[in-house]
Amino acid sequence: MAHAMNDSGRMQDTAAEATHPNGAALAAILGAGVGAFVLGLIVILHEVGGLAVPALYAPAGGASGRTAIAALIWLIAWLALHRRWSGREIPMRRVRIMTGILLFLGIAFTFPPLWKLF
Amino acid sequence: METLLFSGRSVWTMIHGIVLGGGALLGLAAALFSLSTIRVADATGLADATAEQQTRYLGRLLVLVALALWLTVLVGTYITFPAYRATPPDSLADLARYPESLIKSNPGTVWLQSFAMEIKEQVPWIAAMLATALAFVSVRYRFRLLHDAALRRLSTYLLAVCFLLVAGVSLLGVFINKVAPLQ
Repeated sequence: MAHAMNDSGRMQDTAAEATHPNGAALAAILGAGVGAFVLGLIVILHEVGGLAVPALYAPAGGASGRTAIAALIWLIAWLALHRRWSGREIPMRRVRIMTGILLFLGIAFTFPPLWKLF
Repeated sequence: METLLFSGRSVWTMIHGIVLGGGALLGLAAALFSLSTIRVADATGLADATAEQQTRYLGRLLVLVALALWLTVLVGTYITFPAYRATPPDSLADLARYPESLIKSNPGTVWLQSFAMEIKEQVPWIAAMLATALAFVSVRYRFRLLHDAALRRLSTYLLAVCFLLVAGVSLLGVFINKVAPLQ
């Protein structure tokens, strides 16, 4: 009897958690895409001479400043998206496409052969 | 006087590349396998206890992977990279203790700086951000991952991207360390 009740309780918990609105998950995922894009953008702007980011730690050079700023913007973007989307069901398709584009651009911008095109 | 087998710089390089980076790569491979082979919910919408247990382990594993990746990038950027890019004194002939200068001194290995190290400076940060997002999803949405095929598929693709980024960067790190190890 107790076993059956435990099973029933577990099933209800599972069902409740399984229907958690997806907003917070998509906020985390899109936030990572934004972080990747911002890092790539800072890198390519630095490489083509349009942006000079000071070093956060001089022995590590400019990479320390560029990555720290990107990480900070990633956290801010994630927090902002989380506050906006948490508890809501968000259509996944648009977020998936946007995350894919942002990630692709972010990675591409950190690819040195691309810098020579500018 | 006793000679140390490894210098402090060399030990940090091993911690960065093998312990943390290698551990994260193994964890990513295991998480990718786990997520792509997970036994999903049946027609009644209920996943079995084994699958639920598997998602619990997956969540813990991805938290460890994210932690390992953040430690990898922090150790890499703030401990091993400064030693790698240190400027040698003028007129020094033996550049063995100055990897960046050693690599740049040979036209055949310049690409290890202009391509490999440039990528290694930035791309692992993208992998760390991605792994953190996936760890969050796998912990907070572990039941939904069993029921929501679209979320599971998206997580699997992103995990695969993260794995490829870390694997690629690790390979470049091996190339650099073979030519100009931090001694």
